[in-house]
Amino acid sequence: MNYRKGEKIMLYKKKLPLLIFLLPGLLLMLIFLFEPFIENIINSFYDMKSVIRLPGQEWKFIAFDNYKKMFSDPKVKIAIMNSLKMMILAVVFQVGIAFVLAVLVSLIKKGQNIFRTVYFFPIVISATAIGLLFQLFYNYKGGMLNQLLKALDVPAINWLSVENAFKMVSIPIIWSYVGFYFVIILTGLNAISDDIYEAAAIDGCPKFKQVFYITIPLIRGAMTTCVTLAVTGALKVFDLPWVIVPKGAPQGTTHFLGTYMYEQTFTISNIDYGSTIAFLIVILGVVVSKLVSKLMRPDANL
Amino acid sequence: MKKWKQVLSVILVFALMLSLAACGKKPAADTSTETDQAKDNNAVTEAADSKDTPTDPPAQNPVTLMTVSMHGGTDANAGNYQAINSQFMTDYPYITIEDDSQSADQDWKTKIAADFAVGNEPDVIQYFTDANASDVLAADKFVSIDEIKAQYPDYAKDTLDSALAAAANPDGVQRAVPTTGYWEGMFCNKDLFDKYNLELPTDWDKMLKAIDVFKQNDIVPIAVSLNNVPHYWIEFLMLSAAGPDGYKAVPETAPEDWCKGLDMFKTLRDMGAFPVDTDTIDNDFAGEMFKNKEAAMQLDGSWYLGGIPDQDNTVLVSFPVIPGGKAQPGSMVGGISSGFYITKKAWEDPDKRDAAVKFVMAHTNSDSVQKYWNGNGQAAAAVKAVDNMTPLGISGMEYSQAATSISSPTDSRISQEAYNTLVAGIVDVSTGKKTSKDLLDEVLAINAK
Repeated sequence: MNYRKGEKIMLYKKKLPLLIFLLPGLLLMLIFLFEPFIENIINSFYDMKSVIRLPGQEWKFIAFDNYKKMFSDPKVKIAIMNSLKMMILAVVFQVGIAFVLAVLVSLIKKGQNIFRTVYFFPIVISATAIGLLFQLFYNYKGGMLNQLLKALDVPAINWLSVENAFKMVSIPIIWSYVGFYFVIILTGLNAISDDIYEAAAIDGCPKFKQVFYITIPLIRGAMTTCVTLAVTGALKVFDLPWVIVPKGAPQGTTHFLGTYMYEQTFTISNIDYGSTIAFLIVILGVVVSKLVSKLMRPDANL
Repeated sequence: MKKWKQVLSVILVFALMLSLAACGKKPAADTSTETDQAKDNNAVTEAADSKDTPTDPPAQNPVTLMTVSMHGGTDANAGNYQAINSQFMTDYPYITIEDDSQSADQDWKTKIAADFAVGNEPDVIQYFTDANASDVLAADKFVSIDEIKAQYPDYAKDTLDSALAAAANPDGVQRAVPTTGYWEGMFCNKDLFDKYNLELPTDWDKMLKAIDVFKQNDIVPIAVSLNNVPHYWIEFLMLSAAGPDGYKAVPETAPEDWCKGLDMFKTLRDMGAFPVDTDTIDNDFAGEMFKNKEAAMQLDGSWYLGGIPDQDNTVLVSFPVIPGGKAQPGSMVGGISSGFYITKKAWEDPDKRDAAVKFVMAHTNSDSVQKYWNGNGQAAAAVKAVDNMTPLGISGMEYSQAATSISSPTDSRISQEAYNTLVAGIVDVSTGKKTSKDLLDEVLAINAK
């Protein structure tokens, strides 16, 4: 940039325009995110009778009762365990498959865009539609999978039984987000200069080794982003399991923190307990994302 | 470069102002739409007046009435409700109805309670009248029928006094004008019973035998989703075990009879009476199983009757009394639990007041009640006998007329949070993961809070 001397200084000196442009966003965040968040924490200490305190209604202060209940609630334990399992599955399969696909696609010269579109496509379908689709696949009576089994003279399987449900729900969750990480990683791969690969090839480094010694180290930033998003995304999983197996069905085995919070708040009307679980989700989200960035160290010089 | 930056700054500032203006101006934009609508309505009104159609005085201001009812989605009366609305808008062209009717489920109830809490309540709502309405009633936003009648003596004139009394809120005040009452009962696919030479489940032993035979023949004995809507089974099992008096009492700790009733969930589940996927399917899917003759029995309400395709081979029987149960054969769950309310928001608006009253009267006069009732459930106004009733319709009427007692369901007596906890715990009771006593103690403790 060919700034004249004074011009550059003026740009940074005039803070007011910057503030004016930043203010609306800040206000929106304060009003619609931080204020409700603080209110949510306050609510978790009261026995709420309804969503909002109605005129003449008293809410009893119950201190840490909800927190005590939460730590002894077996369904919270199931939800945390399922969320942790989903984090691992998301990192291994969502990011892993996306990485493999991105590397393979980056190696081809023609038709990259077709693969990009095809793999990204599930992202543009609403989670509810995907959920309904998989629900129809899994139905015991007349579901697609059992129709196929029937055609093969194999007895029908309860795909959403206690033993199978978590696996069956994980499949669409993983499948639907692979394309998202695929695009991020592919963009990272395209930013790596061809010169480096050419130099490595001249030195006799085979393609397979190039992935480990050039590609992975150079896309560490993109990979960190993907892992952080996958891990925090796993904590927020809600829509797909809620559509396929509502209320943690069967028998509460597929509860994630998001679905359990929703069930408590909107189905059972225990709003204060739902607020407590929501607070736990935020705490876990912050802790986990900090942990990931600490482990991955995107800015460190290895 | 500098010039470009200035131009860009101006564009960005303009865009910012425009977006802020757009946020602030939204109601104004709506108003303008309403004004346009109003102009149209005025034009229609004037045109209508010039033709001497029976409308109100020409100076009527255009009114947009926000309405909500439970006749949405797949509700059997959704068509009747919409037809009455259409006729209403034809009769009163200056009134526009913006309707947001939905099937009444728990999520919907929560949404309605939130709307009332934040001042976003509709002008007229058809809603529950019992403890299900406690959240909304706490907001004190409904006008009582007495207050309305003081100004509109003809309000609810067709509604039977007994029906108005049955639709009174828990505090005894009459605010809602009901249209119909309901009953719940056991629907049976009689053709399946005939096919396997089985007697209808008029007593518990016959039901157990039917379950056994149907199971052997790969037919789901009882269509129910324990994860979604086990409500009817909760009600009938508890009523059957405790009898009407014990059922209607709200104790502080789990009564033995209630426990005995709920324990039947495990007995039936262990017998294989429920679908294999009863923990994951929803109520609609369970209903489809019954309608497609893949299931033999289903407990549901009078509203379900009209949607059954085979009206000739489906019959209603009273729920069999469980072994040792205190209920008499023929004990039924039912009552009047909903009605049309006018909110204070509409009442205090001079233009909307009249429109809201007209709207409720249009839905609750005897002609409309006749349509809503159609021989099904209980009519809240004097109605004529229906000539072309289907065999299932007749079966339903005979079932309800033969009832030895009518008890309103548990959710009309205990808090929503308590009742929802009961519903959410049924799967665990059916698998034995939780005892019925533990669940009921938890539920009653929540209710006592």
